[in-house]
Amino acid sequence: MSTVIDAVQFLLDPANWTGPRGILSRTWAHLWVSIVAVTISAAVAIPSAIWLAHRRRLPNVSVALVNLGRAIPSFAIIALVLPFSIRFGFGLGFWPTCIALVALGIPPMFTNAYSGVAETPDHLTEAAAGIGMTGPQVLRKLELPSAVPLLVTGVRISAVQIIATATLGAVVGYECLGTYIVAGLARGAAGRPQVLAGAVLVAALALLADLLLDHLQRRLTPWNTQQLR
Amino acid sequence: MSDVTKHFGDPATPAVEQLSLEIRTGEIVALVGPSGCGKTTTLKMINRLVTPTSGTIQVLGDDQMAVAAHELRRRIGYVIQQIGLFPHRTVGRNIAAVPELLGWDDDRIEERCAELADLVGLERELLDRYPAALSGGQQQRAGVARALAADPPILLMDEPYSAVDPIVRERLQDDLLRLQGAVHKTIVIVTHDVDEAIKLADRVAIMNVGGILEQYATPDELLRQPSTDFVAEFLGRERGLRRLALRTVADVETITGPCVSAGSTLAEAHDAMRTFGTTWVAVVRGPTLAGWVDRRAIEHGEVASVGDLPAAAFVSRVAPTTPLREALDVIVNARSRLAVVVDEDEQYLGMITIDEVAAALET
Amino acid sequence: MIADERRGLIWWGWVGDHLDDIWQRTVEHVQLTAIALVVGCLISFALALLAVRVRWTYAPIRRVASILYTIPSLALFALLIPFTGLGMVTAEIALVSYTILILVSNTVAGLDAVPASVKEAADGMGYTPRRRLLRVELPLALPTIIAGIRIASVTVIGLVTVAALIGSGGYGVLIEDGLRRSFPTPIVVGAVLSVTLALLVDGGLALLQRLLTPWRRAERGGRELAT
Repeated sequence: MSTVIDAVQFLLDPANWTGPRGILSRTWAHLWVSIVAVTISAAVAIPSAIWLAHRRRLPNVSVALVNLGRAIPSFAIIALVLPFSIRFGFGLGFWPTCIALVALGIPPMFTNAYSGVAETPDHLTEAAAGIGMTGPQVLRKLELPSAVPLLVTGVRISAVQIIATATLGAVVGYECLGTYIVAGLARGAAGRPQVLAGAVLVAALALLADLLLDHLQRRLTPWNTQQLR
Repeated sequence: MSDVTKHFGDPATPAVEQLSLEIRTGEIVALVGPSGCGKTTTLKMINRLVTPTSGTIQVLGDDQMAVAAHELRRRIGYVIQQIGLFPHRTVGRNIAAVPELLGWDDDRIEERCAELADLVGLERELLDRYPAALSGGQQQRAGVARALAADPPILLMDEPYSAVDPIVRERLQDDLLRLQGAVHKTIVIVTHDVDEAIKLADRVAIMNVGGILEQYATPDELLRQPSTDFVAEFLGRERGLRRLALRTVADVETITGPCVSAGSTLAEAHDAMRTFGTTWVAVVRGPTLAGWVDRRAIEHGEVASVGDLPAAAFVSRVAPTTPLREALDVIVNARSRLAVVVDEDEQYLGMITIDEVAAALET
Repeated sequence: MIADERRGLIWWGWVGDHLDDIWQRTVEHVQLTAIALVVGCLISFALALLAVRVRWTYAPIRRVASILYTIPSLALFALLIPFTGLGMVTAEIALVSYTILILVSNTVAGLDAVPASVKEAADGMGYTPRRRLLRVELPLALPTIIAGIRIASVTVIGLVTVAALIGSGGYGVLIEDGLRRSFPTPIVVGAVLSVTLALLVDGGLALLQRLLTPWRRAERGGRELAT
């Protein structure tokens, strides 16, 4: 139990919160890489998904992506990206982590955006074409609005997953909340309190993020009655 | 059932109130009534799918509470509207369900399944298919076969034919009657269709909302003498005509009518025509009906006996087994306003008119 | 970390030399996965049965399982360390926690999907509640349940790689090794084998589902719940 006491003390010590290696700065680093990853993921996944779904092309890609995304361990992705990152001059830390997180975040966003657009009932799209709407108009006025709930759900799922997995960035040298855990483990018995403290911080951040994003989603799409998890 | 009451949480609005009913072995009883009358609840209390709040139910002489519920139900067949065949078992294994529960050995089960398939009118190849492959009517038959598998003395049916189309329904109803002729079970059927009840049941219980028993009698009695306004309204109109559907020509007293034997003289034929005021006379050769002869042929005939004249065949004829409703149709459509009654050997049994049919209804 | 320019991403020589190691890691990985799944299934089925019988317990169970699922894997492992130390037990407790949400959700959904008429017919025929569950409800819920097990297996196999960081073995060890020595080969081997294992297990379970449910030939195989 001394570990627990030490961990609590660690968290309560204000010195540990400030400074470049402090909790606040690492929390921000953690969030920053997540935000960048979510943005890039969305920029890649959503437009392509929408475009493909509008033309109803490559439906199997959607399913395959989800399965593959689930099968490939995030730890492995981060570790694999590292040598490439170095070779191409992106270095350690931020970029390998970010790229891996983008790879992780794309499948849920893509799949949900695709489903959202592709599953607009056929009779509605036919009716829209029937009254003279052009392709882009059908997309803009019919398919996109009806896809919004699923889209938002997809972004939320990705975001939560990205924030959670950013923890592993510590293994490739990115200084985030996960670093407490990784560095603590490396120091053996002496580092145990740090490990525990880090774990609590990470867990708290992940749960908070999940709660906030859930709330945000409900606010944005209150009419969405689908299972949200 | 004695003073059975059932309420679901609110004693002020019972589903069934103080119901007392007696169902005899070997009879088909129908429970009919509007929705909310508690007929399904009553049925389910027989096999304890619903437990009475108060009152007792005796099944085959024993208090139903004496044995465990599942034991009781294995001795009672149960058929529901949506049938509920197990999708994950073949039809054969579905039918074999209760025998398996009772521990029959495999050979006996197999034999029984084949027997039942024939009995309910299901092709034997279907036993190896899954329920999803069967039509609605076939599934219904399978459901009945499954209920009868362990040869239970009692069969409960809850709106068994409501989900099938009318043509199939009629066929299934006829099959049930035929089945009952073969197996003589005690059957309790819940239905919202009065005509179905009248067609199938030996006795019908008309129930009102709240489980009140309005009248419990044979279909004929119900139609003839509805005991309350509710019953009368529930039965609807044309009660007289519907009673006709329940009887056959055999119930009617025939009249001899203008009929002479083949050996009679023309003068006798003439007398017969005058007595009954007809322009024709029927001719019988021994017990058999030969046909009818026109008045003109009689008046201008130059033969010794009526039998030498050519006799035309009767168009309006009925058999003793003809339902009265059909017979009435024949009578009304005949020019002569009557029908001759002959059995399958062409034996002449008499004639009937509307008067005789109406007289039969009075009894 | 310098990628070996001469040897590219995979140095097959290394692979050949370390087949024993690789095999050992495979055994560890499979063991960790198997234990997590078996324990996870047992706990989840028990919880699912409870949730189906006593309806109001479903929401709290889901809430707790959901929270556990949201906590990042490394953090969950780390949270347990002060209490259960490093090694397999800690890993298993965390891994089992991750399976609960999906397994309970799918099992409950599967059982709920059994048509009411089938259940009523079974009762009317004289099936005891226990027999009805075993012989009627579970077989019919099987496709959905197996779909859940598939998702859980793939997830667990991925998470076991992270467990290597707290000393429980598996393919993650190869990945860690590669990171530490700036050597891509073990990383690639670890990743590829992990994915292969996941695909094999997923495929195997899909086949099992098809074998166990002959009555669903024409229908789409098991609906999966996305989390």
